Amino acid sequence: MVTGNFKIAMDSIKHAKWRSFFTMLGIIIGVASVVTIISIGEGVKKQVSEEIDRRGPDLITVRPGKVAETDENGRINSASIFSSLVNAPLSENDLKVVSGTSDVDYAVPVSYLSGVPKVEKTEMPRAVVFGTSGDLPKALNQKIEYGAFFDKGANKNVAVIGPRVAEELFKETVPVGASMQLRGQSFVVVGIFEEFNDISLSPEADYNTAIFIPTEAAKKLNNNQLPIQQILLRPDELSQRDEVAKNVESRLLNSHAGQHDFSVLTQDNNRSISNEILNILTSLVTAVAAVSLIVGGIGIMNVMIVSVTERTHEIGIRKAVGATNRQILAQFVIESAVISFVGGIFGIIVSLVANFVLRVSTNLVPVITLPIMGIALVVALLVGVVFGVAPALKAAQKDPIEALRRV
Amino acid sequence: MPVILLEDVNKLYGFGDATTIALDEVELSIERGEFVAIMGPSGSGKSTLLNVIGLLDRPTHGKYMLDGRHVARLRQQSRARVRRDKVGFIFQSFNLLPRMTVIENVALPLAYKGMLQTKRLKKAAAMLERVGLSEKEYFYPSQLSGGQAQRVAIARALINDPQIIIADEPTGSLDSASSRLVMELLSDIHKAGNTVLMVTHNPSLTKYASRVVFMHDGSIVADEQTKLGEIPDTLKRSMYFAPRKTVDDDLKGVSSLMNTMPDEKPAAKKVSVKKATPKKRTYKARTKKAKAKK
Repeated sequence: MVTGNFKIAMDSIKHAKWRSFFTMLGIIIGVASVVTIISIGEGVKKQVSEEIDRRGPDLITVRPGKVAETDENGRINSASIFSSLVNAPLSENDLKVVSGTSDVDYAVPVSYLSGVPKVEKTEMPRAVVFGTSGDLPKALNQKIEYGAFFDKGANKNVAVIGPRVAEELFKETVPVGASMQLRGQSFVVVGIFEEFNDISLSPEADYNTAIFIPTEAAKKLNNNQLPIQQILLRPDELSQRDEVAKNVESRLLNSHAGQHDFSVLTQDNNRSISNEILNILTSLVTAVAAVSLIVGGIGIMNVMIVSVTERTHEIGIRKAVGATNRQILAQFVIESAVISFVGGIFGIIVSLVANFVLRVSTNLVPVITLPIMGIALVVALLVGVVFGVAPALKAAQKDPIEALRRV
Repeated sequence: MPVILLEDVNKLYGFGDATTIALDEVELSIERGEFVAIMGPSGSGKSTLLNVIGLLDRPTHGKYMLDGRHVARLRQQSRARVRRDKVGFIFQSFNLLPRMTVIENVALPLAYKGMLQTKRLKKAAAMLERVGLSEKEYFYPSQLSGGQAQRVAIARALINDPQIIIADEPTGSLDSASSRLVMELLSDIHKAGNTVLMVTHNPSLTKYASRVVFMHDGSIVADEQTKLGEIPDTLKRSMYFAPRKTVDDDLKGVSSLMNTMPDEKPAAKKVSVKKATPKKRTYKARTKKAKAKK
C-alpha cells in the first residue's frame, strides 16, 4: 500500500509540475539556507581548528577576563563572546609573572593599540596595530617572507607588517625600509610576514592587516602604559604543558590577590571556545532560517488543502471501492511528505551549488557533511508529515456519497 | 439465506419540520443469483436504497443483513472493509480515476486489500480479458469510448468477487449500441451466478432482470418476478411504459401535456392541432405524461 501511495504521490507531483515546484519552493529555500549556514559554520570551525593545529599543541594563551566557564573536569561548557571587550587588560606585571614561571620557554605579549597608519596621503583605517616582542613569529609559527622580525629587546621605531598592509598602504610587495606615520611618530618597516591563513568570520583578528611594533615603542605611543590583551607562551617541552598552565594560573591568581579575572587556555580550550562561539552564532542564524522551513510547510498545507478539494471526486471513488479513512489519510500524508522530501533534495542541490559559489568567490570554505544532509532531509520529511496531517484528515473525513456527487 | 435482507429500514434526512423521509420502512430480501432492477421516479429513494445496500450510507433505523452479517450499525472502518470485499459498484458516469491506466483502475480495490502489485495486476489483466478489453490495459480512461469505460468499471466491480454488484444507471450516459453491449455483459455476469442490483429509468432494460422492484416516495410499491427477456406486467400497466409520443405530440410540443384527456387511450392521437380547445385536465394525466417524457 505504501509503495502504491508513493506512486500516486509521484504521479500527482508529475501531473502538476509547476504547482508542485512552487509548493516545494518554500522547503527548497528553507533547506538550502539552513544547510548553507550550517556548512559555513562548520567550515569556519574546521579552518580555526586547522590554524590552532598549525600553531602547535603546546601553545598556551593567557587572556584577561574569564572567557569561559569550565566544569570540574576542565571541559568548557559555555563561552562568553564579549568577555574580552569588557575586562581590563593584563598588565606588564602579569607578563613578568608569566615569563618568570619555571619551564616557560618564552612568553609573548600582544597588546592592541589604536591608531591609523599613514604613508604620505594614504591611510589604512582597517589596519590593526599590535605591540609585541621578538618571539611572536615563533609563537604564531609564522614565517617572515621579506626582511626580519625585530629582536627581543628592540625599542626602536620599527614595524613588521602583514602582506595586506604592504599592498594597501605601501602599494608594493616589499616595502622593507619604507616608513609610515603612526600617531605622529615615524616607523620603519623591517619585515613582512608571509600570508596568514585568512579565516573569515573567525573570532580571531586577521593578522594580514596587522602592524607589529616592539612593546617599548608601543608603550611610548600609549602614555608609557602597555595594556596586554593576550600573552602567548610555550613550555620547554610539550609534556610540561598542563603543569605549566597550572603553575601560570596559580601564580597569576596570587598576584591578582585571588581574583580570577584572567584565563589560561591551552589550544584545546581555545578550540572549544571558538567552536562554542561559532555554535552560538550559527544556531542563531539557523533558527532564523528555520522559520522559512515552517513557512514552506504552511505552503504545502495550503496546496494540499486545495488539492484535497479538487480531488473530492477521486476520494469518493476510492472510498466506494473500499478505501478506509485511514488509507485515504495515509495517501495524502505520504503525498505531502513526498513533496516536502523532494523539496529537501532540491534544497540540498541548491546548497551544494551555493557551497561551490562561496568557495570560488569568497575565502569561506563551507563544509557540507553527510550527517547535515541527512538531518536536513529528515527535517524536510517531518515538515511534510506534520503539515500534511490537517489536509489529509480533511480528505479522510469526506462523506463518500457527497464526494461522488461532486465532479 | 438471502444475500441481502432489509427489515424495516428507514432513512431520514434533516430534523423537525424539515425532515425528509428518503426510505420509509423498506422490506427487501434478495436471494443469491437474482438480477433485480429498481425503478421509480426521481426522488423515490432508489439512490438512497442503493447507498444503504452498498454501505456508503447507514440507515437511520432498521436491520440490514448482508451475506448473513448485521451491517447496519458498523463503524466506518469495518463498513469500508465490507464494501471492499462484498460490494462492487458500477456508476452512470463510470467513475474511473483519470490519472491511472485501465489496469490500475481495475486493480484498485485489490490495492486497498493490501495485495502485492504483481499479483493484483495479474488478476486485473484476467478480469479485463473477461470483459474483452485486454488490448486496452495500458490506456487511460480518457482514451476509451463510453462503452469501453463502463466495461472497465464492470471489471473493477468484479475484481473482488463481490457478493453483490450494484449498478446505478449503468447505461445512463451511453448510446444504444454501447448500452446493449454493457447490458449483455451484465447479463452474462448474472448468468454466471452473480447477484446484480440495478437502478434504471429505461423500462426496456428490465428484460435482463429476473425481478423488478418499483419504488415511490421511499417505499417499495411493487415487486415482481419476471422471466428473463420479458418486460414485467406491472411495467406494462404502469406509467413507465414506452414513449407514447406521436408526430402530433412533437408538433404540438409541450402544450400536448396540457391537452391529454384522462379517459382517452394512451397517446393523445385524437387531440389534433386544429382542435385546440382546452379540455378537462387532471393531475394524474399530467404526471403520466411527464413520466412518459422522461
